[in-house]
Amino acid sequence: MADAAAEPLLSVEDLRVHFHTDSGVVKAVDGVSWAVRPGETLGIVGESGSGKSVSALAVMGLVPVPPARYESGRILFKGRDLVAADEKERRAIRGKEISMIFQDPLTALNPVFRVGHQIAEVIQAHEKMGKVAARMRAVELLGEVGIPNPKQRAREYPHQFSGGMRQRAMIAMALALDPLVLLADEPTTALDVTVQAQIMDLLIRLQENRGTAIVLITHDLGLVAGHADRVLVMYAGKAAELGTIDDVYYRPQHPYTLGLLNSLARLDQRRTDRLKPIVGQPPSLIRVPPGCPFHPRCPFATDICRKEMPPLEPKDGPDHLAACHHSDKVALEQSPAAS
Amino acid sequence: MTALVEVTDLVKHYPIRTGIVFKHSIGAVKAVDGISFSLDAGETFALVGESGCGKSTTARCVLRLIEPTSGTVRFEEEDITGANARRLRALRREMQMIFQDPFASLNPRMTVRGILREPFKIHGLEEDGKVENLLEMVGLLPEHAGRYPHEFSGGQRQRVGIARALALNPKLIVCDEPVSALDVSIRAQVLNLLEDLQAQLNLTYLFIAHDLSVVRHIADRVAVMYLGTIVETARTDDLFEKASHPYTQALISAVPVPDPNRERARSRILVSGDVPSPVNPPSGCRFRTRCPKFANELTEPERQKCVDEPPELVDRGQGHPAACHYAEARQLV
Repeated sequence: MADAAAEPLLSVEDLRVHFHTDSGVVKAVDGVSWAVRPGETLGIVGESGSGKSVSALAVMGLVPVPPARYESGRILFKGRDLVAADEKERRAIRGKEISMIFQDPLTALNPVFRVGHQIAEVIQAHEKMGKVAARMRAVELLGEVGIPNPKQRAREYPHQFSGGMRQRAMIAMALALDPLVLLADEPTTALDVTVQAQIMDLLIRLQENRGTAIVLITHDLGLVAGHADRVLVMYAGKAAELGTIDDVYYRPQHPYTLGLLNSLARLDQRRTDRLKPIVGQPPSLIRVPPGCPFHPRCPFATDICRKEMPPLEPKDGPDHLAACHHSDKVALEQSPAAS
Repeated sequence: MTALVEVTDLVKHYPIRTGIVFKHSIGAVKAVDGISFSLDAGETFALVGESGCGKSTTARCVLRLIEPTSGTVRFEEEDITGANARRLRALRREMQMIFQDPFASLNPRMTVRGILREPFKIHGLEEDGKVENLLEMVGLLPEHAGRYPHEFSGGQRQRVGIARALALNPKLIVCDEPVSALDVSIRAQVLNLLEDLQAQLNLTYLFIAHDLSVVRHIADRVAVMYLGTIVETARTDDLFEKASHPYTQALISAVPVPDPNRERARSRILVSGDVPSPVNPPSGCRFRTRCPKFANELTEPERQKCVDEPPELVDRGQGHPAACHYAEARQLV
């Protein structure tokens, strides 16, 4: 599947995206680094307000500037820095080499145009192809994503599709030009769980056929465990932990990761008496606590945690990183996933 | 032991009317199409299913927030299906609801105190000191009483919703997806609170959910719904360890578990296609159009039975009722 020795296809380095609003500066992404290799799936996990979606939108150049500002950092794709690139360069890449799918398919699908037409439009925007050829290719793609009667469906409007079918249509549009990287922002959150399973199965098969790298952004730790190779855990705009899924789920090095895993209700276990929640709530990105943003909720926090933001560094091998002053203490706790 | 709530052959159809001058009925959305179940005092009974299965409609019919088309609802042995407005008002003190959306379910123009006083006002009851008591019960502070909903986080608003539901000392609380709209790290807090309150106050919960992991943790018994009917019902551990209806099996196998090794080892049962329209559910067994068993394991004559005969919800040897002619228990987690 993923070639561990390969060079990263897309890498984000120390990215900072801040929104300057009347109420204050929203530090949506505040010093985050991650990378994805060809054929690999990277999961980015975080709750609302963790900055996970903004970091993907930043890669696509879809963050409105102003009010956003790229305060620092680089986004490297095939040797080019997308932060420094102009809109012409970005447009050439967007949809063709890096594509994105969203939680709500109606974000990508225009309700007043037929589905086939929209997919053909994406193709024609990047390739020299006639209308008829592009329409035929659109029908082929709809078939490839598992939509029955694709020729007829291509002539329909998005409202005539069910939720799962709209998601498939959006995937068809995103993969029309065989991009190297697919960013999937909560692609199944709004879907029923059986439909979610169908869509994830489709994405994995398409990845196997085409070697696409996938960045799967979600709050669902189960989804990541089942479909990702590596995972980045984000909290309050910063990276908390990064590693392979086995590393992070079985040997968590950050208290937030450990706390999240401990707090989940488990489908595969008989009832326990009580769940083990994380106290408090995630901070507003306008008022991120000083030092380590997790310290107000952290059972391991000490003085240094309130003052100094810990660097993201290797803790449990060179490829397993965490941003915590006390990873050694966290590592002593048993992960609930280790069975 | 007599049941606290007993629902028998509940039906809710929404007629589809057409016509400009003379409106006439051309069909109906069969949201709930004949279900029966009971709740014992002090237990948590979960209704699970995907969107459009009828679980929320069922819960609202039990509370008579929606009028059933037919069937009966009994509360403490009294038939409340036809209860008049006066009797219903008195009953509402015993049956309350917690809603899914912590943002939409609180009046943004009332303070927390105002919101918590309202139930008492409506029923003409004294509420001295009760507001502070309720806040304490749900883990909020007295100073929160003077604030407005927008000043709170989602989890805190949900606590206010819970406090409101507890105000009149109800026996039954319908929890409609109480944690789905909350952040993952907050869900455990609210679930623990619901369980603590149940133990303290001997509450009975009718728990509507689509998240099976939450259901496994909190429910004593579970009923799985599909297109307006119950397809399987059992004690929680039995349902998860010995699921016998193909839809239940597909549902359980579709839920991802936060454990990479387990995920790698799992076999997924995929259902095909989308949920059929509740206006025109398939004949015989409603699940047959998507059923992997129907598609892959049955002979022609066996399939014909699925097309012709709606399967009854009875125990076919697995220890609990399942509505499938060919029910077979499978361990999926």
